[in-house]
Amino acid sequence: MKKLLSLLLLATTLVQAVPPEESVIQIVVFSQQPDWDEPWNNRPVSRSSGTGFAIEGNRIMTNAHVVKWAKQILVRRYQDPQPFQARVAYIGHDCDLAILEVDEPAFFDYLEPLPLGELPKVRSEVVTYGYPAGGEQISYTSGVVSRIELQNYTHPGNRRLLAAQTDAAINPGNSGGPVIQDGKVVGVAFQGIPGLENTGFFIAPPVFRHFLTDVEDGHYDGFPQAGIRMAPLQNPAQRSFLGVPPSFEGARIDTLYSDSAKEHLQKDDVLLKVGDYPVGLDGSILFQGNQLHAGLAFSSAQNGESVPLLLWRQGRQVEVNLPVFVNKDDAAAGNLYELPRYYVYAGMVFTPLTKNYLSTLGQNWSATADTELLYELFYRRKSDPENTRTEAVMLASILAHPVNANMRIRGRVMVDRINGVRIDRLEDVVRAFEDAEENYHVIDFEGSYGFETLNRGQAEATTRSILNTYGIVQDRRL
Amino acid sequence: MKRFASLLLLGLLLVPAAQSHAAPSPWAQSVVQIDINRHNYNYFQPWSRRVAASQKFGIVVGPRQIVTTANWLYNHTLLRLQKGGRGQWHTGRITWIDYHANLALLTVDENEFWEGLSPVTLADEIPNQGPAELVRWNSGRLEVRKLEINRFQIRKGQLTFVDMLHLELDSEIDSVGRAEAITVDDKVIALTISQARNKCIAIPSFFIKSVLAAQASGDYRGMGFFNFFWQQSENPGTLDYLSLDGEKRGVIITRIPKLPGDENTLKPRDILLEIDGFQIDIVGDYADPDYGPLMLENLATRKHWAGDEIPMRIWRDGREQTLVYKLPKADFDKELIPTALYDVPPEYVMAGGLVFQPMTVPYLKSWGADWQRRAPVRLIHYKGQPPTEDRPRLVVLSTVLPDPYNIGYQSYRFLVVDQINGYRISRIEELQEAFANPEGAYHVIEFEQGEPVERIILDAARLDSATQRVMLRYGLTEASVINDPFPQK
Repeated sequence: MKKLLSLLLLATTLVQAVPPEESVIQIVVFSQQPDWDEPWNNRPVSRSSGTGFAIEGNRIMTNAHVVKWAKQILVRRYQDPQPFQARVAYIGHDCDLAILEVDEPAFFDYLEPLPLGELPKVRSEVVTYGYPAGGEQISYTSGVVSRIELQNYTHPGNRRLLAAQTDAAINPGNSGGPVIQDGKVVGVAFQGIPGLENTGFFIAPPVFRHFLTDVEDGHYDGFPQAGIRMAPLQNPAQRSFLGVPPSFEGARIDTLYSDSAKEHLQKDDVLLKVGDYPVGLDGSILFQGNQLHAGLAFSSAQNGESVPLLLWRQGRQVEVNLPVFVNKDDAAAGNLYELPRYYVYAGMVFTPLTKNYLSTLGQNWSATADTELLYELFYRRKSDPENTRTEAVMLASILAHPVNANMRIRGRVMVDRINGVRIDRLEDVVRAFEDAEENYHVIDFEGSYGFETLNRGQAEATTRSILNTYGIVQDRRL
Repeated sequence: MKRFASLLLLGLLLVPAAQSHAAPSPWAQSVVQIDINRHNYNYFQPWSRRVAASQKFGIVVGPRQIVTTANWLYNHTLLRLQKGGRGQWHTGRITWIDYHANLALLTVDENEFWEGLSPVTLADEIPNQGPAELVRWNSGRLEVRKLEINRFQIRKGQLTFVDMLHLELDSEIDSVGRAEAITVDDKVIALTISQARNKCIAIPSFFIKSVLAAQASGDYRGMGFFNFFWQQSENPGTLDYLSLDGEKRGVIITRIPKLPGDENTLKPRDILLEIDGFQIDIVGDYADPDYGPLMLENLATRKHWAGDEIPMRIWRDGREQTLVYKLPKADFDKELIPTALYDVPPEYVMAGGLVFQPMTVPYLKSWGADWQRRAPVRLIHYKGQPPTEDRPRLVVLSTVLPDPYNIGYQSYRFLVVDQINGYRISRIEELQEAFANPEGAYHVIEFEQGEPVERIILDAARLDSATQRVMLRYGLTEASVINDPFPQK
């Protein structure tokens, strides 16, 4: 008992040796976002600030959204006016986390890494550290963990991962800052919900630990997905139809999306266990005292790992190891953080249909965009996979020139075919134009937009001068 | 005093003259008010019925015959007419109605109503510009107001998908669009259908006259339309690409939706040069002998009805060719998602709390005026799709009325049904046979690929008792309403 007390005391002494705020970093970012409507252009440079904290290995952890599109990252230590230049070593847009490195070794002198903790209990107290609202002095806010569940991560826009809600104030600038309990990091502050009072969210330890494990091999893969959709199995008729014994719970596998799921699973399999977690009738698992969606158990694996499953299949229990992978196709519906791809030919600007492209329509883009474009981007992959293109391509705009001045279409339409070639991705556009042999290019559009033609000789002769007129250095970024 | 007496005398003499000037307008004997009570259905709760009331106008066009627009007459429960702008209302009835043409004939059985009424003359020709007058009753007074004829234009009919000729007038008058008569001199030139800002839209008299004449002689076969999409040929390169000889002319066919019974032979990339003897220019207009340049769609309704054969000249395979285009009949039942339903209650089948409904535009309009933005994208997508032989229509699981029987399914809604118990479901009436043939002890309901859930199961033995219980709990008088056959108007 005496020994135990000593250990506790030591632990207390250790974590109190350096106050956490001394490991908290202020981050100032100068960033430049591309313009998806004119993809060779960038928007004006903007300044923003966020927070980070030192972790083992002379690294700084922060949010991906704090350093997105960064041209310059400056980091400052606690009460130190000296800024240091930092760079992104790893960035995980799906989990909104990033690791920064500072080339100047002196930066880490006297900078203690913060120890990483475990998932805090609901109703336990936490303190956030950060530099909200662009302030120069560190700010502390305390609160309790209000709930823990899978949340929509707004930075990627299409991922649900584990997060904790707290009533401690989390404001712009807090992003990337540590949430501390008993001297350890139990969360990374990352988002709030406009209009809701006393609700801030932080990224939970299983997520940032997964991220750190992922990058150990020097490469970030991301969070894998099961590639399935589950449906609740609460209806007695549904259970009886599948012959599930009354003593069993589990959720029904309704749809298989990924190749791995199609290979290893069957529709109407009943998922009884994921790893060590029994699955409830509503598709949830009990994770450290929290009833959470079973998708959590799949995303806990690393890319390419197998997740052991216990299934009820056609009247008996079956064990299956399901390899899970990061779903790259999902990028079609989420925000993108790579420079936009494009191709300009005879003043016609082609670019992939993406969420970022649609967002150029304005803040209310989801209400104003052509519903067929929304369907193409968000629904066709699931409802009509046989006819889904790898990448839908838009004729985004037309740079006016006599060669294209008579075209009725002036942009914002989706391309179906060019010179008879079905456009399945942007590279097909280039190939269709460059391989053409007829006198006229023929561009067919999706929907009721008809088609356009262009004299090939005139088009080829004018492309370079159009690029010069509009100040476009490269005709393509593929 | 003598002078005063003279003034009085003058006054007495003047009074009859002034009364003579204010004599009732002849329109007072021809314009009547119509009061309509009708069902106003709520497609989100298809079993509930609310009432709506509207007032509009009609004009006497013949013995015991009044013509008005068809708008607001659908789903009516009571129709009453009043002459002279005040006094007794008389119960009326519809003798003929066509929602595509947006015209209806009404009558009143009481002889007394017709006393003092006289028919108007519908103009054969309408001036292209100049003043006109709007005539209507307003609080017991005949209101005659000035408007200005602006232009003729082709636009979709108010109650249909058919493009047809309308008259646009400039108007500063409030609340126009209730079938008010527009007159020039002593003739009616149009009936109003709508107003937006200071533009008033009306149905021209010559169209009304031709429909009524065809209806009277039994020749009216319904409105026809051109079942193809076309694009303008303003890009000269496109006509060169299609090897058109001679001057630039015509428009290019781009798409021909599949329509049951339409055996016309137009093809995409045909250049449409001439319709019914009229040359088509590169923007899609023809030179109307009476009204100048008009969009080619008018040639489907100009002196033609459904089934008529119209000669066309096209450019195909490097030469001019002639073909005959048989006008398909405008028919909501041939659409995958019908544009409109008139004079029928919303159909539904409620089974164990699961509410199934046909997918129709009136259903989608339940999302409000901005329904094309607010309704689920998955559903709106179907609006632009053509029907197919194996999927002529669509049925959706629109909502679930919670009950212990359907526990676990309460949140499902707006799902397009694919099959029930192995029966492919396109029309609501197909649910009856499907539910009559369960798969063993279960009803297996499958939804289209990509819907938020693809299959749900119901206990077949308990379905009827659950349906009865849900009816009681949620106040449904009928478990299903199925209109048979599809209304043809």
